[in-house]
Parts: sequence; structure tokens; C-alpha cells
Amino acid sequence: MKTKNFRTLAIASMAVAALGLTSCAGGPPAAVKSELSNGKVVIGVLNDQTGVYRDLSGPNSVVAVQMAVDDYKKKYGDKAVAKNIEIISADHQNKPDVANTQAQQMYDRKDADIILDVPTSSAALAVAKVAAEKKKLFIDVGAATMELTGASCNPYTYHWAYNTKMLAKGAKGVVDNGGKKWVIIYPDYAFGQDMNKSFSEAVVAAGGSVIESIATPFPNDNFATFITRAAADNPDVIGIMAAGGDLVNFVKQYNQAGMRAKADLAVGLMFITDIHSLGVKEFAGTTFTDAWYWNYDAQNRAFADRFSKLTNGSRPTFAHAGNYSAATQYLEAVQRAGTDNPDKVRAQLDGLKVNDVFLRNGVIRSDHSVIHDTYVAKVKSEDQVKEPWDYENIIATIPADQAFPEVNPACTMK
Amino acid sequence: MEAFIQYTVQGLAAGGFYALAALGLAIIFGALNVVNFAHGAFYMLGAVLTAVFLEFANLNFWVSLALVPVILFIFGVIVERLLVQWLLGLDILYTFLLTFGISLVLVDLVRMRFGVSGLPYDQPPGLTGSVHVGAIELPVYQVFVFGFSVLICLLVWLLLTKTRMGMVVRAATEEPERSRALGINVSRWITPVFGFGVAVAGIAGVLAAPFRAITATMGSNFIIILFAVVVIGGLGSILGSVVAGFLVGLVEAYGQGYASNFAQILIFILMAVVILVRPAGLFGRKETS
Amino acid sequence: MFDVTGLYASYGQAAVLHDVSLSIKPGEVVTLVGRNGAGKTTLLRSIMGLHRDCRGAVTMEGKRIETFSPNQRAKAGLGWVPDNRGIYSSLTVAENLTLPPIVGKDAWSLNRVYDAFPALKERRSSMGTQLSGGEQQMLAIARVLRMGARLLLLDEPSEGLAPVIVQSIGRIIREAKEQGLAVLLVEQNVKFAATVADRHYLLAQGRVVEQLSNKDFQLREHELLEHLGM
Repeated sequence: MKTKNFRTLAIASMAVAALGLTSCAGGPPAAVKSELSNGKVVIGVLNDQTGVYRDLSGPNSVVAVQMAVDDYKKKYGDKAVAKNIEIISADHQNKPDVANTQAQQMYDRKDADIILDVPTSSAALAVAKVAAEKKKLFIDVGAATMELTGASCNPYTYHWAYNTKMLAKGAKGVVDNGGKKWVIIYPDYAFGQDMNKSFSEAVVAAGGSVIESIATPFPNDNFATFITRAAADNPDVIGIMAAGGDLVNFVKQYNQAGMRAKADLAVGLMFITDIHSLGVKEFAGTTFTDAWYWNYDAQNRAFADRFSKLTNGSRPTFAHAGNYSAATQYLEAVQRAGTDNPDKVRAQLDGLKVNDVFLRNGVIRSDHSVIHDTYVAKVKSEDQVKEPWDYENIIATIPADQAFPEVNPACTMK
Repeated sequence: MEAFIQYTVQGLAAGGFYALAALGLAIIFGALNVVNFAHGAFYMLGAVLTAVFLEFANLNFWVSLALVPVILFIFGVIVERLLVQWLLGLDILYTFLLTFGISLVLVDLVRMRFGVSGLPYDQPPGLTGSVHVGAIELPVYQVFVFGFSVLICLLVWLLLTKTRMGMVVRAATEEPERSRALGINVSRWITPVFGFGVAVAGIAGVLAAPFRAITATMGSNFIIILFAVVVIGGLGSILGSVVAGFLVGLVEAYGQGYASNFAQILIFILMAVVILVRPAGLFGRKETS
Repeated sequence: MFDVTGLYASYGQAAVLHDVSLSIKPGEVVTLVGRNGAGKTTLLRSIMGLHRDCRGAVTMEGKRIETFSPNQRAKAGLGWVPDNRGIYSSLTVAENLTLPPIVGKDAWSLNRVYDAFPALKERRSSMGTQLSGGEQQMLAIARVLRMGARLLLLDEPSEGLAPVIVQSIGRIIREAKEQGLAVLLVEQNVKFAATVADRHYLLAQGRVVEQLSNKDFQLREHELLEHLGM
């Protein structure tokens, strides 16, 4: 009788608790007090779903964010502040105007609390502006421009994975290895000009010299004469700042011209998907700065294995891992803040020192540049490759505090 | 001076490839009065098939060079019979839009299946290394592409000028209605000529595989240059597009050598100048009523 | 041998030919005279199957050909010489001549063509459009003779040519007639028409208003000139 009553009471209280959950904004007493806008957290992934950056970010970034959400739910279970998390995604086609409208729609109509990824510098800057206007959070992962943490920085925008100056830090390793005289070939648009500037500075700072910087049209198919021109300078290193299909065009023609034997090739920005598409043979021996490599250690590998199962065998690019990290740290901040209120969440993010699968010795700096250890990678030769996607030897780690440039005084956070 | 010679040689080498790539466009425009916007997509298919053959069937470059044009010929014939033929009598804009649509579909199908990063392709065996032409060193493959392109252009030219078939095609091209009234079954020639133009695009695609990024969108930018070539040469003129191909190659090489960020703009400046001075292009026929 | 019966033709809403009937016998030269816009060229194009918007019966050597495509009509023996002469600029003179298939057993051999038109022989490897206007006209006529057409449809062959050349065209037409070929000649040059033709059809506003023998035609030349506004 006594036990039966107790059981009834237990069931009743559970029912009341359940009702309480749904009817009032209270919540279970054990968890932190939760205040969610619209009763849910909405994460928007805005990136290139169809164009040249689809493979390095695209739908697989959404997969990475989903993994972060799953991990968060698993970790906190009943205690999670964000019980209801929704992921939405959209295609910005690498166009700033499209990115601008899509971002507004995400924040206003789809109740996005945060937007992630956004490759293509001009598109990223457009979204940063929208985020500042709407006072909503934006963590950029896919774009490289220094502007995000420079004159265009704002309290609601974070730049997570990399930037052009960080990519250029790898040049020091090349110069130290004897690659003193450089010729830089860069596509003549915002990204390429930024990269040219960053690399030229880095090469000179490391004690090398840049004989010539050659601007090329963008996009461009035929690099033959540019290569001849670069070769005429007899450089130790040719730095190519092109990305995507143009990079592949260049490397094929560079190899065909027999330039491998004459000068080392340094690539400004390269994703593992680029090596995969062109084949490791064409890139063998090329050095570049990598923000993260899937086969670097056991932790990375475990993440990459999970990712592979969800993506039909692909390995994650650093952008995918960066998106996972950004989503994870965002949700952790929501958890600590007990709310998705953007100002309270960013109070939790600012100044954070953090380690996760992507961020090693990570610090969210005052300029919202998220610094972390980066790597100098060398593409393996064909006989060193032991499995698909096993393309990189990490030859050096650049500690977080040296990997990124100083805070830009132009960034005033207004 | 040495640099100038080097740029000239490279410009001619690139020009040969442009001439070949634009040839099919000129043939199809000439014979069908169709501005084939899908030409870039057919070129892309040629390259993608080459890469796929190597990866999945272990068919090497030389096999692809023989096989891909045949497949694309058949594909072109199917496209013409199924789609293009119904719009042939209408305003040129209809086929322009149709072929634009065809190119979007083809590009997206390839993108769905193979992604955007593209497919790997090695140097074909036997065509690696460099050769010396005088004091100038050139990649063997570049020389091969040049020679092969010139050879194909020459064969097409012989076919068109020295055979009865070529004569009939030229006549049907110049004035389809009159040719019908002179007892020539023009429709019977339309389909194979379309297929032939597509096959030539395919050859260019096979040649591109070892030295261009093989992606779904590889033809989308390329076709803009090819249109410039065809316009400079004179719409519908086979010889014109070959000459213009070399011209564009040279302009591009000098641009790359001396005014690098203008390399592509120069091509379009050339096009503008040609159109201003000779509206029908270098070898174009004047419009007759 | 060749009959058109009850032919109507229009451009969309606008009717151009009304109930046109005519017939030609082998070895007969018949002209079609009328003002500009009377429908002469449309009639020739309808006979060739190039003008689609028409109905009526067309009979060639007892065979109904109105459903034939233009190239089938050419193969049935119709030889069209268009008013712009129709010389291909991308073909040489010799190629222009040998382009059409041979459709009749009385087709002229290339040698006969060159004998009759020495200028063409001389310039056989020039491009077609490098010829003078008169030479182009010769070439266009020679082409249908070489084809072996049994009915020549000539659209204003004398237009814009010097009198001496017009004379030699007349000579060729008579030679064709002697060979037994039928000729339908569209002409505005009444004097020239009178020198070659057996009969004349007068076309006005898309109708055959009168049929005249060459004798009556010559008697009424002045009246006709006035009527035609020529």
C-alpha cells in the first residue's frame, strides 16, 4: 500500500515536471536556469553549397556541425541548456550580395542565433556587417581575409580557423630551409592581393627576398607564360596564391614545364580536398601552412573516422574541423551562460582559453581572432601514402602565439 | 628578345589548342546557325570521361583520345535528334537558351557525381619531360597538344575543302534553303555535323585532361574565351576561328609576359577592336539579305 | 508536262496568290509578267516548296509533287535559279557547278557547260562570288543545266545586266528550249521576254489576269508596259 502510493506519487510528480517543462519556461531544478529565444537554439551554416568551395566546406560543414550538436547533447543530456537545437543551411554562391540577403533571412525569419562557416572573404565581410547590425553572433571559419579582425571587426563576429597572415607564417620555415629567393604568383582579386602582401612581408621578415610578384587574371586556365616568366628570375621558391581549380591548373602546368627540378613550390592556401582531387603525385614535396590535419594524432583521427562514416568516406578539411570546433564552443558558451542571448554568450567566449579537437592551445583574442597551434605541412610522395587521404607530413608545429599576427590596432570593436 | 621568342612560341602553342577547342563551335554555328553554349560542357565531358576511363576502366590517355570523340559524337547525335532539331527553324535565341540549359544540366550532373574539387589525372606516359626548340625549352606535352591540334584542324580543313561531303556541308552551311532547292538533303547532314562538332569539343577535352583542372565547371570559363575566338575569327568561318585561335593565344601570352593582369582583358579588347573595324569578324561573311 | 492548279499562298493573314493555275509543255518557254509585289517570286518559291504557307496542286510529269520537300522537287526535275543568283561564296565556280546531284539523263556534261560558257571554264577555280554579275547569272543557269533539270525556273535573270549579257542569256534559253526543256521565266523586262517566250501569263495582285501568245504580247507591248508600270 505504502509502496503503491509512493509509485503513484512518483508518476504524478514526473507528469507535473514534464508538464512544467512544456508549459512554463522553468526547467528542471538540477540544470542551469535556461532562457532560450523561441525555445530553441538555431545554428545557421551559410557557405558554398554548389560552387568551387563546396568540397572544402559545403554540405560537409553541416555534417561537422551536426556532429558537434550530437556531442553536446550526449555530454549534457538532461542538463543541456539547449535541448532543442536546429541546424539550417543555405548557399551563398560565394557572392557578397547573396550572402547578405541569406544572412538577414537566417537571423530574422529563421531565428538563427548564430551563423557559421562563410568562406569567400567578400561574402564573410558582408555577413559580419549584418551580424553587427542585428547584434547576432557570427563565427567565420572558411574565409581568409585579415579584414574580419581588422578595420571590419565587430563585437559579434569571430574569426576561427585561419587568415592570410597565418598562412604566410609557413614561409619562414621555407626560407629557413634555404628558400631565400621567391617569386610570388597571385590571382588579381581581394584574396590574392591579400595573400601576396602577407607572404611578401613574411618572406622578407624571415630574411628572404621577393624578386617579383606576378598578378594573374582570375579565374585563369593557362599559366604557361607566367611560369616561364617566373622561371626567368631563377628563384629558389615559387609561391602560388591561387586556390581551387586555378591552383590545380597551375600545378599541372608547373609540373609539365619541368619546374619541379628548378624551384620549390610553396602553395599559399591548400585544402586536403585539393590534394585529393589532383592526386598526391602532382603535389608531392609542396609545402604549405595547414590549420589542422586529420591524421595528425589519435584525437584528430577519431574525429575523422566518425566524419568519414557520415560522408561516404571523405576526410575532413580543416574548415570542417573548424566548424565542428566553432559549433562546440558556441554550445558550451550557451551552456555556461544558461541562455542564447548573444551578449551573454559572447561574454562567455571572449578571452576564452580552450583546447578541443581543432583548437590546440586556442585563445579567443580581444580582436576575436581565434588563435591556435598551426602546422607546416609537406605533401607526401606517392610511396609514402599508406591509405586514401593520407597525404601530409607535418614537419613543424607553429605555437599559437607565433602562428598568428599581432592584434591589428585598426580593430576597435565598434 | 629571348623572352619575346619564348612568349611567341608559347602563344602559338596555346593558340593551337584554342583553335581546336573553338573549331567545333564554329562548325556547329556555321552548319546549324546554333550558338552552342553547351560547347564548354561537351569539352568538360571529354575531360571527365578521360579521367573516369583511367580510374574505373584503366583505359589510358591514348585509348581515351580514340574513344571519347566517338562517344561524344554519338552523344551529340542524340542531343541533336532529341532536342536541338525542334528549334532549328526558329530564332537563334531559342537554341542559345536550349544549349545554355543543356550545359547547366550536364555541369550539375557531373558535380553531383564527382563533386567540385575535380578528378586527378596523371601525365600520359611518353609525353613527359621537355624538348628544346632552339634555345627555348618547352614541355613535351605542350608540343604534342600543339601538333595534335594543328593536325586535327588540318584534317577538318581537308575534309571540308577537298571532299564532296565537305563541299555539301559548306553549301548547306552557307545557305540551307537554297541548297535544299538544289536537291541537297540538308537535314541529313545537320545531325552528323552537330555530332562532329561535339566530338571535336571532346578531343579538346581529352587533350585538356593532363594540363587543366578536371572539374564540372572547367568549361564554363573556357567557353567565354572560345566565344571571343569565334567572334574574332568571324561567326561560322572555320578558317577564321583557327586563325583567331592563334591570335588569341599570342595576345594572351604577350599579355601574361608584359602586362600580366591584363592578359585576359586584352583578348576582349582585341575582340572589341575587330568588331569595330570588321563587324563580321576577320573572316566572316557579310550578312546578305 | 508541268501544271499548277488552284494555287493559293499567303504570308500569315495576307493572301498573296489566289487560285493560280498554269501549265507548261516540254520545249516551251513561258513567262510570268507582273508588277513588283504581284506574287511572282512567291509563286516560284511555292513551286519549289520553299514557301510553305500554300495549297493547291503541283504536277510534274504526271506526278503530284506538292507534298514533296524542296530537295525532292529538285530531284523530280525542277531547276531553280533564284533572283539573287544563289552563288555560294564559300564554293569555287567548279564546286558551284557540281554541287547539285544529277537528276536527269539529259544533264549537261561539265565539258558542254564549259564550251557554252567559256568564261566559267577560265575561272573555274575562283570563288563563286568573285565573278561579275553576268558571270554569276551564267553560272546559276549552267548549274541547273548541268543538273539535268527538265523545268527551269528562272527568277529575273536579266535584272541589272548589260544588254550584251542579256542577249547571251536569251541564247541559252533558246538552246534549252531546243533541247526540249521547259522554262518558266519571271520577267519584268518585257522586251526581253518577247524575244524568248512562246506564251505569257499576266499576274496582277496574285491572280492570273490574262494569258497571251507571244504574238498578241508583242502587239500589245505598249499597253502592257503601261499596265505593268514599267
